[in-house]
Amino acid sequence: MGLKIKITKKLPHFEVDVAFTCDDGKVLALVGPSGAGKTTIIRMIAGLERPDGGTISYNGEVWFDSEKGILLPPQERSLGFVFQDYTLFPHLSVFKNVAFAAQSKEEVIRLLKLFDIWHLKDRKQHEISGGERQRCAICQALARRPRILLLDEPFSALDANTRRNMRDELKNLRKQVSIPIIHVTHDIDEALFLADDVLPMVNGKIVRKWMLQFMLKERTGMGTHDDDYKYGFTKYHGFDRSVLYDSMEIEKWRM
Amino acid sequence: MKMKIVSHVNVFFVSSIAIMMIFSSFLSSAWAGDTLIVAVAANFILPSQELVTMFQKKTGVAVEATYTSTGKLYGQIVKGAPYDLFLAADEKRPGLLYEKKLSDKPFIYAEGRLVLWTAKQELCGASDWKKVAAGDKVRKIAIANTLTAPYGTVAMQVLKEAGLWELCERKFVFPQTVAQAFQYASTEAADLGFCAYSSALSEDGRKGCFYTIPEAPPIMQAACVLANTGNRKAAEEFARFLLSPEARKVKERYGYR
Amino acid sequence: MDLMPLYLSIKLAIVSTIILIVLSAPLAYLLVYFRFRGKSFLEALLNLPMVLPPTVLGFYLLVVMGPKGALGRLWEAITASPLVFTFAGIVFASIVYSFPFAIQPMKTAFEKIDRRLLESSYVLGLSPLATFFKVIVPNALGGVAASAILVFVHTMGEFGVILMVGGSIPGETRVASIAIYEAVEALNYREAGIMCLILVPISYVFLLIINRLTRSNLYGS
Repeated sequence: MGLKIKITKKLPHFEVDVAFTCDDGKVLALVGPSGAGKTTIIRMIAGLERPDGGTISYNGEVWFDSEKGILLPPQERSLGFVFQDYTLFPHLSVFKNVAFAAQSKEEVIRLLKLFDIWHLKDRKQHEISGGERQRCAICQALARRPRILLLDEPFSALDANTRRNMRDELKNLRKQVSIPIIHVTHDIDEALFLADDVLPMVNGKIVRKWMLQFMLKERTGMGTHDDDYKYGFTKYHGFDRSVLYDSMEIEKWRM
Repeated sequence: MKMKIVSHVNVFFVSSIAIMMIFSSFLSSAWAGDTLIVAVAANFILPSQELVTMFQKKTGVAVEATYTSTGKLYGQIVKGAPYDLFLAADEKRPGLLYEKKLSDKPFIYAEGRLVLWTAKQELCGASDWKKVAAGDKVRKIAIANTLTAPYGTVAMQVLKEAGLWELCERKFVFPQTVAQAFQYASTEAADLGFCAYSSALSEDGRKGCFYTIPEAPPIMQAACVLANTGNRKAAEEFARFLLSPEARKVKERYGYR
Repeated sequence: MDLMPLYLSIKLAIVSTIILIVLSAPLAYLLVYFRFRGKSFLEALLNLPMVLPPTVLGFYLLVVMGPKGALGRLWEAITASPLVFTFAGIVFASIVYSFPFAIQPMKTAFEKIDRRLLESSYVLGLSPLATFFKVIVPNALGGVAASAILVFVHTMGEFGVILMVGGSIPGETRVASIAIYEAVEALNYREAGIMCLILVPISYVFLLIINRLTRSNLYGS
């Protein structure tokens, strides 16, 4: 079981139209250039934005159904969300931030120690580094024992070194929790490294795998540039607009 | 070329308007020199308005009046306020001015009476003013400021002498002038008001009822021409007019003797 | 030397400040986070006391709070005593008079809060009401402090409205500003001067207290 979603939403420049599932214990990456609608999708999963149509359900529990008029508020979905610039509450210390939605004090202590920020527990968010804030935000999200974890470009604001460290940590995290994790990123390497399934997206739609394959073949060198995407995709107009979901077999593409 | 002409026209307009404004302000201050400015105690508003109109018609001299409590006016005059005449509600303050050589010899221009007035019909049938004031149904009694309004001073005096001052202390409300005391009573914000007899005789006053206060002395109201008047001739003429028979008729109509 | 007017002024200022802060916080919340029809009319209405001359405001309040006015009658029905010429009456008048000064700084402070903090709070399971108290208010304390200070100072100095609606009753509505005025009118300059001299440091001390109370809670925002 896991998260099952099929939603549409009209945005200023295009329409988001996606369908996919993410099972317990799996990591799903939504990859694409900025503005592709990825953030909108996870915000809709979180209940922070309302889709125009479709359904969202988790383990059979319906969170959103446009026909039946069901819309469960974010409070009741019991998920974790790490925002793009890991918004922590500035008026609370690290400890209190993590404890915000925690079930018990022991849980907070355990998480802080696990992510190696225990020594920062009394500091405020402006007194710690970006990577430390990121870890704090993840702890805050996990403290709630969420049923799903949503990460919105969690590492984009970090320097290269920290980013590499955080990726490793996230990989380790997977071993600790067996909940669906949906990871939004524009970095294809990161997606390939961390995820079981990768969904490339352009203009609100999931694009067929063969387009991604083409793009990967054409890439030269390391690093990721949004232009690569745009370059790759503009060469092929009229990509499939149906909401078929093709998942990629990562092994074939790992270098 | 067009722009230059427009801006020239603008400059002409603005400067001519400016000149006219400056000119007219000189004019009006020239006028002000001839206008009599009279400081009048609040209780005397209504008769004073009539008297001023009569005087203006008779002599062609413009008169402007300021109305507020005697004490306030006294304070202003002592500080040099530019009044020509002072019509007080007591004898004390004009007397003080005369002592300080700030005025001519004062003269009595009216004799007023203090009454207890109410707009509420249910308070009207009692035997005397003391019974009404002390009654349970009365929650607020308006008394003009006892320090600066002579009618208020007298009201406090009679209340103290009747032994009612402490008894009714919680009920008192203190507007600044005796005219406001009447206003509070007539809007029923206060149940009773210690007012001037002339208020009781006014149009609004006749909608309610009043009690005479025999214990209260008649209020001798004195007036004087002020020493620093810029208009002595007109001021003295107004002072004479105040005591004339026609003025007396007006005063009597408002309950003054 | 009668200190009662000073005591009354301080009491009025404190009571008005507390009531106004409690009243304007939810209103500021409504104005910042919701869009509804007639919102601009409501905002203009709330700002009206700021542009009306105090005597005009006092006049209308006197009519409305008087025994024949809608509010006066309502109050009387509930408490069997009049609203005008009472301490409760001048508190009410102060609240109306100072409303714009309370709500504006709070609105500004609320607007400055990152919406994602609120979203984070919702996702973490807090209701909008709990979010208001646990996230919005602590992060808007600067605005709350500014509101409190403005209202306190404004109320201490209030004169025209209180004069019209209060009736200058010693021990109940004769606040310091009125007592000073009446002392001057009665040419009692010495008493007036003493009251002024006491009023200034008292106001200053209160400002320091409000400032200190909220500064200790301000974060590196």
